[in-house]
Amino acid sequence: MNKLFLRLVMLPSGLWQGMGADIEQLKAVLTVKLKMDDRKPLGFGKQRAQKKERKAGSFFSVFISFVMGCLYIMPLALFQDNVFALWAYYTTFVFILSFMLITDFSNVLFDPKDKFTLLHRPVNDSTLLLSRILHVFIYLLRIVLPMCLSGWIFVGLSMGWQYALLFPIPLLLMVFMVLFIVNGFYLLLLKFASPGRFKEIINAFQIVFSIIIFAMSYLMPRVLNHTMIDHLDLHSFGWVRYMPSYWLAACYSWFGATTVLAGTKMIGLLAIVVPLVCLWITVKYLSPQFAVRIGAVDAFESGEGTAKAKSGSSSRLYLKLAKLFNRTSAGQAGFVLTWLQTSRSRTFNMRVYPTFAYVPIYFVYLMTLSKQPLKEVWATIATGNKFLVLLYMSAFVMAQAINYVTSSDQYKAAWIYYASPVEKPGKVMDGAFKAVWVKYFLPYFCLISIFILSVWGPGKILDIILAMVNVTLFIATIIRFSFRAFPFSLMEQISNSGTKILKTFITLIIPTGLGFGHYMAIVFHLGWLKILFFILSSILLWLIWDSYSNTSWEDLKREET
Amino acid sequence: MEPIITIRHLSKQYTGKTVLNDINLDIYPGQVIGYIGPNGAGKSTTVKILTGVIQDFQGDITVAGKDLRKDVLEIKKIIGYVPELAELYDLLTPREYLTFVGKLYHLPDNVIEERSKRMLDSFGMLDSLDKRMDSFSKGMKQKILLSSSLLHNPSIVIFDEPLSGLDVNAVIMVKELLQVMKQEGKTIVYCSHVMDVVEKVSDRIVLIDKGQIVANATINELKKDDADTLEQIFARLTSTGDQGQRADEFASAFNNKTI
Repeated sequence: MNKLFLRLVMLPSGLWQGMGADIEQLKAVLTVKLKMDDRKPLGFGKQRAQKKERKAGSFFSVFISFVMGCLYIMPLALFQDNVFALWAYYTTFVFILSFMLITDFSNVLFDPKDKFTLLHRPVNDSTLLLSRILHVFIYLLRIVLPMCLSGWIFVGLSMGWQYALLFPIPLLLMVFMVLFIVNGFYLLLLKFASPGRFKEIINAFQIVFSIIIFAMSYLMPRVLNHTMIDHLDLHSFGWVRYMPSYWLAACYSWFGATTVLAGTKMIGLLAIVVPLVCLWITVKYLSPQFAVRIGAVDAFESGEGTAKAKSGSSSRLYLKLAKLFNRTSAGQAGFVLTWLQTSRSRTFNMRVYPTFAYVPIYFVYLMTLSKQPLKEVWATIATGNKFLVLLYMSAFVMAQAINYVTSSDQYKAAWIYYASPVEKPGKVMDGAFKAVWVKYFLPYFCLISIFILSVWGPGKILDIILAMVNVTLFIATIIRFSFRAFPFSLMEQISNSGTKILKTFITLIIPTGLGFGHYMAIVFHLGWLKILFFILSSILLWLIWDSYSNTSWEDLKREET
Repeated sequence: MEPIITIRHLSKQYTGKTVLNDINLDIYPGQVIGYIGPNGAGKSTTVKILTGVIQDFQGDITVAGKDLRKDVLEIKKIIGYVPELAELYDLLTPREYLTFVGKLYHLPDNVIEERSKRMLDSFGMLDSLDKRMDSFSKGMKQKILLSSSLLHNPSIVIFDEPLSGLDVNAVIMVKELLQVMKQEGKTIVYCSHVMDVVEKVSDRIVLIDKGQIVANATINELKKDDADTLEQIFARLTSTGDQGQRADEFASAFNNKTI
């Protein structure tokens, strides 16, 4: 597969050469990067499970991509006008791909390994930049291909075989467009921001942008609901001409796809011209000094500029909390390590902080499902039981954080656990869990509780306490049965492998049952049932917790195999 | 005197390939053992087994009278291990990392604090105590790694290329440290490819090749004549051909062309 992708991206070799790239070097760099992608090692001491895990994991991710792709074909069925249908399809796709790129792209664009392998070699800026762009392009294609399969079949069946033949071309152009939108932003930032601020700005931007995209993908369809689409006057949608996703859809008009907007055939040309112009601008104006600037970012990180870590009394709060929540020394070690690593890991923050916003966004989405005007929804909110959804959704924040606590780029540093006299690995893992609970879940849950108490009144205090126990139980069940590993000891592929996701899914049944029980107790106004549930959940939590914190080396070994 | 480390019939296979083949070795308290061998000979595997990182092996190992299989935790408590690659959680500061490691060894906070400061001070790094290690050079990280491995005052210390990346002053300091630790009666297993250092610091040389011990003696016993160096002994016992001839062949690959 890699060879095929490589051939595809090397087809316009003349173009790359014209932009100043050294073709031989470009091909060599790409070949090596693709090989490295395939051979990424696994977590500390996990050699044996490697092949099986990877195969299952990659098949699962292809399957997930395919299923996600099936969801994106909805716009194709909604619109009568083919070009508009394709515009909606590409718009969804562009959003999703931008989201993926923003979360992952900077890691490829600023691959720290290049510092030792490429930056000191006679490789020019254009070659370096193009190699990185094309690497991401191939990475995107791998995700996009299974995702677009359902769309491709749908287009073939509903519009005709000639459209199915055309389908891959706008798709490739779309990937290019997305790539340049995100890449252009990064390079502009690299050109104008100081090296020290660069990564901070990117981090903040990544978090904010991913929240915006998530909010739009959920709330936009609420705004453009079915009734609106049915009575839509497409003539009043002239502004879509300015959207790159419309240019892509317009390519189909060359093969006879009809649309109400005039000049669509000409607009289609933009889909070809704009990516080329973007590419030219990128290589001509943004690539010079690319290596120098990346070097400056690296030098800043490895030089005098790095700030001292805070050492004041307020920043030592975690030490007090570590002692407060952990009786054992190993537990305190796990707590402190997790607290500090999660504060400083850019990747971790990028993945966890957006989930804080996802919960209220998803809540608003659920509130607006009824299609009532927002004012009416707000006026009647206190009479319903929707607060329960908000309480239980807080589990999402905790689940996301705990999921990423086990994985790290520095997974090899986990040798220290294996060489230290750690009696029960569970104690360290227990400390890590408590750190995430205290640092992320507790403050967030308190905020939600304050909101609920102010809207629904203090009568909901028992529900809040029960939900808190249930959510903690829910997460404890997940980590006990799925993610038993030392903090920051696994590579990402392992912690997110398909089998574990499946295992997690099965494990969800118990806590979901508890949540449903809670709901029933509210619906039938059975206060005593809530107290009973609280007692039962607390006992169950204690049992699972005890089992988790007593995880032995043998248990861990079994998990690894 | 009873040996502090006893290795009997130690073997280890990785996916069918034998990495260690019937290793038998006694190490006595206070000895400095130079554990040497070519790349892939099985040094790191032996070290990982001794430190309890790899627990899946054939044979018997006792450390300080305790069976490695049964009392791995007790054994880990008295061993300090400096791995070959300076892998550490470098988003932390040295103070934070050393506190974390100290906790894993159940050291009280005040002891960790005091030892961390004194160790870093001796490396001239006290002003870096609260700086994040991702900004550190390889040598600086190596100094932190050394400190973290000795923080719990182990009686057995296993060094795997401890001088890697260190500057000249730090190398001198570590060599001195080895002498001090030896005088204190600590047992040291020293793995390295830097033969002159091994020759200077070791009481006994254990040479391993293709998973088997090919020599186990003092440097004087290994020397055939006074002119022999450890490097020459190493080459004699492990090499499959004339290194000078190989160097000639390597150089001739360029065919006297500059490009």
